[in-house]
Amino acid sequence: MRVIPPAIEFRDVSLAFGERVILDRVSFRVAPGESKIVMGGSGTGKSTLLRLSLGLIKPDAGQIFIEGEEITDYSEEQLMRVRQKIGMVFQEGALFDSLPVYENIAYRLREQKADPDEIDATVRQMLKFVDLENAIDMMPNELSGGMRRRVGIARALVGTPKIILFDEPTAGLDPITARTICELALKLRDLENVASIFVTHRLQDIDVLSSEYVTQAQDGTLEYHKEEDKLCLINTRFIMLKDGHIIFSGSDEQMYENNNPYILKFLNRRG
Amino acid sequence: MNPITNAIYQLQEITLLTWRMLRSFFRPPIYWSEMLRQMDTLGVGSLAIILLTGTFTGGVLALNSANTLQRFGFANQTGQLVATSLIRELGPVLTCLMLAGRVGSGIAAELGSMLVSEQIDAMRALGTDPIKKLVAPRIISLVIMAPLLTVICDLMGILGGLFVAVSQMFQSTNVFWASAQEAINGKEIFGGLIKPLVFGFIIAIVGCYMGLSTEGGTVGVGRSTTRSVVVSSILVIIVDFILTKLLIATLLGYE
Repeated sequence: MRVIPPAIEFRDVSLAFGERVILDRVSFRVAPGESKIVMGGSGTGKSTLLRLSLGLIKPDAGQIFIEGEEITDYSEEQLMRVRQKIGMVFQEGALFDSLPVYENIAYRLREQKADPDEIDATVRQMLKFVDLENAIDMMPNELSGGMRRRVGIARALVGTPKIILFDEPTAGLDPITARTICELALKLRDLENVASIFVTHRLQDIDVLSSEYVTQAQDGTLEYHKEEDKLCLINTRFIMLKDGHIIFSGSDEQMYENNNPYILKFLNRRG
Repeated sequence: MNPITNAIYQLQEITLLTWRMLRSFFRPPIYWSEMLRQMDTLGVGSLAIILLTGTFTGGVLALNSANTLQRFGFANQTGQLVATSLIRELGPVLTCLMLAGRVGSGIAAELGSMLVSEQIDAMRALGTDPIKKLVAPRIISLVIMAPLLTVICDLMGILGGLFVAVSQMFQSTNVFWASAQEAINGKEIFGGLIKPLVFGFIIAIVGCYMGLSTEGGTVGVGRSTTRSVVVSSILVIIVDFILTKLLIATLLGYE
């Protein structure tokens, strides 16, 4: 039997900026199709984790694997190939200001010199996925915060990557828009079997991502269900970061039962 | 970091950036259309200020020098003085100082805001090398456009000088023109074109470096922009001295 390698694996990864230690021998694995929710206060290295996975920054020590391939010492050219397997959704969307929504989404395909008809079809399909078909000709500065994130998600999905990294995609959004973003993450997890790291510190996101799932009916309509007692979602796991260490790793049930004072405080529960 | 270490560190970083930029030319893709667009925004966009700079500098040169020359009976040499000063020195230096102010600041601000809003990271995540896409086109277009703009500045300066000499000093157009032509020869023009080529490179690489090394959000973008203008202006003036010295030693010489 062939062993399927994890989508992302960190082995004893350490990183410091000058005197400040960001990550200290951090190890974890994200299985194919699994959503890993990364939590922790500001400045605990959550975003750094994503940037390391993409090879945007290099660790001081340790190894990083993408689909079983070690990328730690890769050159920028080698990384370009690996990055095609990964989509990244940046905190504020990080859309290219000078390009309209259409070109933002088409960017990756244009760089690959794809056929214009293929580009057009993909852009429309992606905008449909994030439900923003009417924003196709708008410029990024005309979009609201939530729309920017959704365009960011659409752009990250081009090329159907099997790994998506979300960097606080719901931060600063109203609850309804934040839920829309979470539903997109659910769709990717449950319908497209995409592995992801989802960085957040909003309890509502944690609740939606750990207790709901989506199915597609025969006629194509999407149905969102609560997990309740009849089944247990096993494809969503949690990591809690504090002071450069992983202080918790496991399922939501394990997390709610954990008695670590920091986790209790984070989850707004009393010990 | 103390100031000397810092200066050496920045020099090292700029050298590395230059090296990576040069290396990128030997690996596809090369963004020709982006290069053309930059030539338009950086070069053609600066035309108006260069026209004004050239015209008024030439005029003021004629205004200042004609009186003095007249006192020694050399008023008919005004054209030569204006043309020589412009082609050798003022054309390249003033054009490039204006470019440092308009273009260098623009490059630093644009790249700086792209960096703090994670657009540079997004670009890398989507498989584009920012050095190829952003840095190289800006440097190449400025290296090409700075000499062209200098020629325009020189020309406008001579015309400005001519206008002042004729209208204010009542010199004849022919005398001014004939005297100006004495100053214009191959060596002078070559010397006057080498300078803006080097300055254009300095302005673009400093702007790109400052933009890409922005730290600390929007405040940092402001800081990078200011630093880019200050550093490139100072460098233009210092390098101008060195280049002039070299040109005199090799090409122009003193008769």
